[in-house]
Amino acid sequence: MSGAVVAAGAAQLAGLALAPLAAGAVQRLKGRLQGRRGPSPLQPYRELRRLWGKSGVQPESAGPVYRAAPAVVVATLVVAALAVPVAGRAPDWGVGHDLVVVVGLLALGRFAVAAAAWDTGSGFALMGAARDLTFAVSIEGVLLLVALLAALTADGTTDLVAMSQAAAGAEPWREPLHWCAAAAFALAAIAETGRQPVDNPDTHLELTMVHEGPLLEYAGRDLACLQWAAAARLWLMMLLAAGLFLPTGGPFGVRLAVAGATVAALCVAVALTETALAKMRILRVPVFLGGAGALCLVGLSTWLLGAGT
Amino acid sequence: MTAGILVAGAGLIAAGIPLSALRGARGALAVQLAGAAVVTAGALAVLASGDAVGGAFHGGVAPRLGLDRLSALFALVVCGTAIPALLCARDQLAASPVRRPLLALTAAFLLSMLGVLAARDVATFLGSWELMTLVPATAILVARRDAAVRRAVFAYVAITHLGGAGVWVALLTLAHHDAFGAAMTGGPQALVLVAALVGFGTKAGVMPLHVWLPRAHPVAPPHVSALMSGVMLKVALYGLVRVLFEWAAPAPLWAGLVLLAAGVLSAVAGVLYALVQRELKRLLAFSSVENVGVIVAALGAAIVLADAGDERWAALAFAAALLHTLNHAAFKALLFLGAGAIGDAAGSLAFDRMGGLLRRMPWTGGAFLAGCAAIAAVPPLNGFASEWLTLQALLHVGTSTAPGISAAGALALAGIAVTAALAVVCFVKVVGLVLLGAPRTPQAAAATDAPGATRAALAVLAAACVALGVTPGLLVPTLVALAPGDVALEPGLTLAPAGTGGLAAAGLPLALALVFALVLRATTAAPRTAAAPAWTCGQRVEPALAWTSAGFTKPLRLALESVLRPERERELTEGPAGVEQIAYHAEVPHLFDDLVYRPVRRTALRGAAVARRVQSGSLRAYILYLLALVLGLLAVLRLGGAA
Repeated sequence: MSGAVVAAGAAQLAGLALAPLAAGAVQRLKGRLQGRRGPSPLQPYRELRRLWGKSGVQPESAGPVYRAAPAVVVATLVVAALAVPVAGRAPDWGVGHDLVVVVGLLALGRFAVAAAAWDTGSGFALMGAARDLTFAVSIEGVLLLVALLAALTADGTTDLVAMSQAAAGAEPWREPLHWCAAAAFALAAIAETGRQPVDNPDTHLELTMVHEGPLLEYAGRDLACLQWAAAARLWLMMLLAAGLFLPTGGPFGVRLAVAGATVAALCVAVALTETALAKMRILRVPVFLGGAGALCLVGLSTWLLGAGT
Repeated sequence: MTAGILVAGAGLIAAGIPLSALRGARGALAVQLAGAAVVTAGALAVLASGDAVGGAFHGGVAPRLGLDRLSALFALVVCGTAIPALLCARDQLAASPVRRPLLALTAAFLLSMLGVLAARDVATFLGSWELMTLVPATAILVARRDAAVRRAVFAYVAITHLGGAGVWVALLTLAHHDAFGAAMTGGPQALVLVAALVGFGTKAGVMPLHVWLPRAHPVAPPHVSALMSGVMLKVALYGLVRVLFEWAAPAPLWAGLVLLAAGVLSAVAGVLYALVQRELKRLLAFSSVENVGVIVAALGAAIVLADAGDERWAALAFAAALLHTLNHAAFKALLFLGAGAIGDAAGSLAFDRMGGLLRRMPWTGGAFLAGCAAIAAVPPLNGFASEWLTLQALLHVGTSTAPGISAAGALALAGIAVTAALAVVCFVKVVGLVLLGAPRTPQAAAATDAPGATRAALAVLAAACVALGVTPGLLVPTLVALAPGDVALEPGLTLAPAGTGGLAAAGLPLALALVFALVLRATTAAPRTAAAPAWTCGQRVEPALAWTSAGFTKPLRLALESVLRPERERELTEGPAGVEQIAYHAEVPHLFDDLVYRPVRRTALRGAAVARRVQSGSLRAYILYLLALVLGLLAVLRLGGAA
């Protein structure tokens, strides 16, 4: 195993720890952009520490499914993080590096959270879960189309390591396909991570909650797990964006630095969109994601027309 | 040797018919079980050794039987599902007055399906095929006789016979051209393919020929439903596979595209209609339409890829279809049998009359939960493995074919991805309403777990779902070998065909379980867990506030309003003190019934009315008809002779 691969593995694991920092940085930046001082970027860690010391809460009707869900969600995100390479490299953790598997793992997390919502029997939790799953229908369709588009530039493979190698250099960007795929991925990632304009992660009004709804009943360590998971999902999506659409080649060290800079830039982008855009009506979200799907199809048709000539 | 085992097994099942009918005792059931187990062993032997037993298919009338690897795989599905189904039947029929005829019919049903699989001549095939349709219809009518059930059975028999004519046309055309295994081209091939698509497609429940399925499957006794949904549909798919990949092979591109389109339509619409059902067995029946759609789409992808010259992915797509066939048999049998046990315990299968059963029926509930997760295609269970391979095959349709076809591949890919996500919504709903939360009726609150044999059967099926999910790397090479062409794949723990990042079928569950166990240990080591009512903005949590099936699917119904066209009725009764009563009724109509079948039925009835006018009842008119016929025939003869 080469040094670069070991370093990539270390970076993957570090990412698990750094994810809350990225979420905290977004909050801080958003505060500044909105004319507030904003919380410290370390605030998520303080939250996690506080929650870790608290006792849990269990609704009266809930049982083992409710208890197990946070651990399932954490497990899916840890395994997904091991499957996603950093800067085009990743050691073989024995879980493969397939993009479709990563999409499947995210679905497992959603399944667990929605089942837990049913276990609590709380209307707010179920409202959020139902909306989340409804969005996920379009998200999964778009993500698979993005996988197809990205695979087209990578010799028809969904191996994330090979895909991020193929994305290196300016060559793929000559194709409109790549632009469309990147834009569609951005839209799907916003919906998947529950950021504005699809969902407002800072909301405290139960009726408007989507991703936060099923978390309402949780407290203590369970809630800490779920909050970390939300941050990790954002991190994972930014890492995927950097891996699939980052045009850098060269030695591993350079790529790692650029990937880090990309994640930072994406944090800024998230803060900017969240400041500029209000949350949209829930029924607009499928249209929003339908637009992402249409973008994929437009990209695909440009590629096909190009192949025809 | 293997032939002897297989014949002995079939003989045992056959012996089960008179034994059940005459004595109806435990002994008869044990004989059937033993027969199914022996056939399973024989089929496994054929699959493992790769040597076909008996003769090859021929176009003559002399009866001939045989079992090659493809038949053996489906025989494995039949008998592997029959064993748990019979175990459950033992408990569920214990107090039934019609136990004897039902058990005899079950054995006959199994034999007829094995007959289709083992037939090596047209007469045996068609005879078994017809029995396979009629025997379950009889079983349903023996078990229940109310008017609604009779209507459902009539629709089932009528539609499957009308569509099933396609099977006759296809096989007789093949026999006429003596083309089993020989290359066919042009018009006859097109006729065979179209007839086979309609005939086998009707029986498999491919949309838009599926309307009998959600009517017939829910009304059957649980173990018959499990066999119909888990197995009978697969036997129809076996026929389709035989025609497409062997008898009329190589299938042309248009057949692949038709299959792809029909498969994606069945998958998406099947799961959408499953979602809006309010009764568990009806939901499961629609979900069978969905899964058959996934299988058919994979078969279509195999044809399209073979046409494009990508033999390797064609074989993998074929393997994906077969793997999903195996997987669907496992989890659908589990869910139907579990639904039977749950219905007995909770007294109803309406979604809003169950709840909280996981705690009251830990064995049944636990197995049912595993089945729901498997059918929702979440890793690491078996549904995900075959869904993953199907998605990869469709993705490679998108990357390695000509432009127009690759666009079709992209649409199919998005369609199947959407299906997977919708299946998650659908089966989370099932899990939530059936197993979780608080019980919704007193009877559900008093439910107790199923008897021992049912528990054992469900546990075995749940274990099969896990095992099939962990071992696709070992299974797929065997399935790839069944595909036309000689593509070979190395067996291994990770299923990693070139062009994918690999499905670490063994590593994934291991890693997930490890992290899960560590995190669960940490979270349950928390200071203490306080019990509290769920947060409802300070209101008291009441059963009337419980979330319903319709409530959970509301966002989706709103998003898809233009497609699903839900109907709502609200009646307000106003009295002197304001509104006294509100009656509310909402329904999602089945558009295939309204838009396709109703006009067809109306036209047929109108045509019949016209035809009736010809039947005046007057003798003179009939003599005139006869005279006209004779004159007409004479004229034809005369003209034909002149030419």
